[in-house]
Amino acid sequence: MASSSSSSPSFDPRMIKEPQPLPGSPGSWRRYFSFNTDAKVIGIQYIAVALLFLLVGGLLAMIMRGELITPPADLVDPTVYNGLYTMHGTVMLFLFLFPVLNGFNNLLIPPMIGAPDMAFPRLNALAFWLFPVFGVILMASFLVPGGPSGSGWWAYPPLSTQNPLGHALNGQLLWILAVAVSGVSSIMGAVNFCTTIIRMRAPGMGLFKMPIFCWTALAAQLIQLMGLPVLTAGAVMLLFDLSFGTSFFKPEGGGDPMLYQHFFWFYSHPAVYVMVLPIFGVFSELFPVYARKPLFGYHVVAIASFAITGLSLIVWVHHMFYSGTPQWMRNVFMVTTMLIAVPTGIKVFAWIATLWRGSIRLSTPMLFCLAGLFNFIFAGITGVMLATVPVDIHVGNTYFVVGHFHYVIFNMITFGVFAAIYHWFPKFTGRMYYEGLGKLHFILTFIGSTLNFLPMHWAGLMGMPRRVASYDPEFASANVLASLGAFLLGVATIPFLLNIVSSWVRGPKAPPNPWNAIGLEWLLPSPPAAENFAEDVPTVISGPYGYGLGQPLVEDQERFERRAAGLKP
Amino acid sequence: MTSTGRRQPSASPNLVLVAAGLGLDALASWTMAQQSYHWLPVQASTAAPYVDNLFALETGIGTFILLGCSAVIAWTLLFNRAPKYDLDDGDPIEGNLTLEIIWTIIPLLVVLAIAWHTIGINHTLATLGGKQRLATAAPVATAALPIATGSPPSAADSAELGPIQVIARQWSWEFIYPNGVRSSELHLPVDRQIHFRLISMDVLHGFYIPAFRLKQDLIPGSVIDYRLTPSRQGRYRLRDSMFSGGYFATNQTDVVVESGADFAAWLAAAERAPLRPSFNEANDLWQQRLAKRNRGWATVPPAPPPEVNVSLDPKNTHEA
Amino acid sequence: MTSLSQPAGTPAVPSPIGPEQDPGASASPGHDGHGSGHGHNAHGAHADHTMTGFVIFLASESLIFLALFVGYAVFKSSSPLWLPAGVEGLEVREPLINTVVLVSSSLVIWLAERALHRQRLGEFRAWWLLTMAMGTYFVVGQAIEWQHLPFGLASGVFGASFYLLTGFHGLHVVTGLALMALFLVRSLRPGLVLPEGKGVIAVSLFWHFVDVIWVVLFVLTYVWQRR
Repeated sequence: MASSSSSSPSFDPRMIKEPQPLPGSPGSWRRYFSFNTDAKVIGIQYIAVALLFLLVGGLLAMIMRGELITPPADLVDPTVYNGLYTMHGTVMLFLFLFPVLNGFNNLLIPPMIGAPDMAFPRLNALAFWLFPVFGVILMASFLVPGGPSGSGWWAYPPLSTQNPLGHALNGQLLWILAVAVSGVSSIMGAVNFCTTIIRMRAPGMGLFKMPIFCWTALAAQLIQLMGLPVLTAGAVMLLFDLSFGTSFFKPEGGGDPMLYQHFFWFYSHPAVYVMVLPIFGVFSELFPVYARKPLFGYHVVAIASFAITGLSLIVWVHHMFYSGTPQWMRNVFMVTTMLIAVPTGIKVFAWIATLWRGSIRLSTPMLFCLAGLFNFIFAGITGVMLATVPVDIHVGNTYFVVGHFHYVIFNMITFGVFAAIYHWFPKFTGRMYYEGLGKLHFILTFIGSTLNFLPMHWAGLMGMPRRVASYDPEFASANVLASLGAFLLGVATIPFLLNIVSSWVRGPKAPPNPWNAIGLEWLLPSPPAAENFAEDVPTVISGPYGYGLGQPLVEDQERFERRAAGLKP
Repeated sequence: MTSTGRRQPSASPNLVLVAAGLGLDALASWTMAQQSYHWLPVQASTAAPYVDNLFALETGIGTFILLGCSAVIAWTLLFNRAPKYDLDDGDPIEGNLTLEIIWTIIPLLVVLAIAWHTIGINHTLATLGGKQRLATAAPVATAALPIATGSPPSAADSAELGPIQVIARQWSWEFIYPNGVRSSELHLPVDRQIHFRLISMDVLHGFYIPAFRLKQDLIPGSVIDYRLTPSRQGRYRLRDSMFSGGYFATNQTDVVVESGADFAAWLAAAERAPLRPSFNEANDLWQQRLAKRNRGWATVPPAPPPEVNVSLDPKNTHEA
Repeated sequence: MTSLSQPAGTPAVPSPIGPEQDPGASASPGHDGHGSGHGHNAHGAHADHTMTGFVIFLASESLIFLALFVGYAVFKSSSPLWLPAGVEGLEVREPLINTVVLVSSSLVIWLAERALHRQRLGEFRAWWLLTMAMGTYFVVGQAIEWQHLPFGLASGVFGASFYLLTGFHGLHVVTGLALMALFLVRSLRPGLVLPEGKGVIAVSLFWHFVDVIWVVLFVLTYVWQRR
């Protein structure tokens, strides 16, 4: 990695790039299957493959919910259930959410800051192509003897190093390899995104004129840079324990299984913020557009992102309140965890205040944002409950946590992902989506997800442990509801896929700025040319959310608008 | 940019409306907090009321915030919607420093207050459901000789029962009483502090009794001292809460809390009962799987059912 | 990171490179290298970007070592079983010589860098080769030490952490040597290294990083032996 980027100081990789047809134009599909270094192509590659894995993960989830619709383990063997839930979690996190958000980073960051591409285009393409590689590694674990890893996406030792069949090639090994390769890819991405944001902003775009999405992307990628190395260290030790007979986490050799939990959560709790921060960015971009108002308290919202980054690195022990953690440590980490509610609350209140006295348009992206905001407030409240030690000791490792987690990861983050897909769909495909199908998708998703994840809280409060393949009959009603919700979510993907595919193929042509939004990306044609503004980068003269203020965003705004619309300047 | 059709007069709720809204919100939150006790199992240990009260408090505060925020969002959706074909912008408000300071300080104070309150509860619970990790030079060896036959607690501590060895395996629970009685069902006297010694023979497990609101992981390589006091008679469920592989879901047993006399009678009867293999669901399922040509994904085979004086009876029904 | 501290009210002066108007960012090397008005648009992988990215990468990489060091310290101070039976501790003398060689190679690579800066290619190659020789000496010494140690990877948590730490570091040394070999070959065609020497600066930075890590590692494993 170091050599490829540092060895060619005066070499411009894009000089050998072939002329690119615009995205969506006929006959150009082949480059989506090539080692293309254009960030916009890579972004769409990321999002497309990630959505494919969303379907895989969703299918696994539906089999799990089919199993859990009745108390006994009667649909699949319990060991199969364990493998399914492990893979569901891993696929959704490492093969859907991280990649889809990297896709948005690729699509949005360069146009938003007026850069032609990422700082390191080839590294960017390499990072993307590692994604199918670890996707295949992980999927291959279904085929090895003994099936995939069945130790949960935490892979806590000593369970994860038991290797029941004793084969050198086993599901757990492939799991660790896939996570490690994913980590390498994420680090490459993080180096790239940070450098791009720090170094390649348009003239006049000081940090405090930068769109919030870039702020949150930077804050999130900093977490990747600080957290992933620690997970890597833990994963390497786990790999050695599993395959080379070391005893880092085995008590019989003097090792300590708890140390793995520290390594794991030092990254994996902040990882949730890696996923949630960009969605904070999406909310901060979309609410102003569809409420026609400036983002309320832009500076504070921007800075709060970094407060979250800082705090996220000192909260991990709240996952270990009942695993033998000393009292003082529980108190300290409870306080740090609860403090995260403050910067998060600032953002939530800022969004609500942005709506206040706006001129609200309830299009599909706005609906997803509003529902996501509502769900997020709910998830934040259950999050504070989980932070308080006594409540966590009761509901930790129960379905309450599963419900809370899915409220964050699906009902807020994935809602935000859908909102972002709809909002920027015209910009990057050059086609409008169908509003009716979008709204149908929203309604089904909202009902399905609420039905799926809300009853889980109740089951958890009553004491149903998570990760069980069978359960006592008193939990049946909550589980039936949850399963119905899961199947409804499966149905909800049909209008979504239909919408995306048919709109891209034959939707109405999109104008450069269909939402009348402010931002550098909306001063480009839809879809933008390969190098965005190329040589002619506008000079930014005002903040990113000047709705109703009547100030132009850039110098010579009209010229850029006319050029985007294909008119003579 | 011009605000011709602005909905100014109706767009701001007046003070009376705000006060009424806050009052309603508070009332609803209070109701919800009371309601929250019904979402939890019966309170069967001295720790349970503390947990439930804290949960009710948080439910109340949480409801207040959720309803408050939702009401404002709903208001904007009702009264600040753009009419069709209206392309106007909203009021160009960029921020309000006072407001931003308020909604930074108040949440900060609220969470710090909850945290302060909770630290107090933590210390109370430490005595109610306390634990301490024994530092042993060779923990595994210690775990292998768990039968502390008749080692009585110190005289000052005579009110305490124990230590009861709690031994978790993939996938069974075994309880060894100070007099050597072995059981796969946990019997406890009511209103008396119990001293457990938590030992895992293989992987991580979780000692979790929802009716007690208490949970503690069992960590291979460590012996963990754990104390709690049951406060209500009945039959409750003990569930393994830390994922332990293959037949994790079946790793459950019953906790029977009974009067001191009943407990003494049970213990005496148990002492006379012969050792026999316990009922063990994981082993039953494993045998079924082997009979069906061992289909399924990899798992270690279950440990043999523990030899016990008293076995868990799956026909019993539990309260919570 | 310094550029994050830019105050809100900074007037937006149109400048060739937006962020570089920050005083903090201008400390980076090669600041004056832009001729055109929109320099960053004309160069995808700009030299300055390369250094920024590389420094970010190194910072992140150092955290892997930090995690491994913390793991080592935790094991050493809390594990009930540390040294395997029959092992007294680690021999310090040979590793100390190795350490001195490796650390002084940092000075040598600096001399190489300076030679390149003064456009003296021959001198550059000489110092560069000497650095490589010292690095190779270190790796070979390390391999010999490994061969004679009385414990293995599976000898409890001590053996595991010792081999993991030294092995992971050794991997970095070998990577550094490979990079140096690459640039040695490149220096035969001066056009590839000379104009700004950025690649050489990056390799040199990497080498200093490897050295600093080794010093911490040496203190942790060889010097701190008593429990």
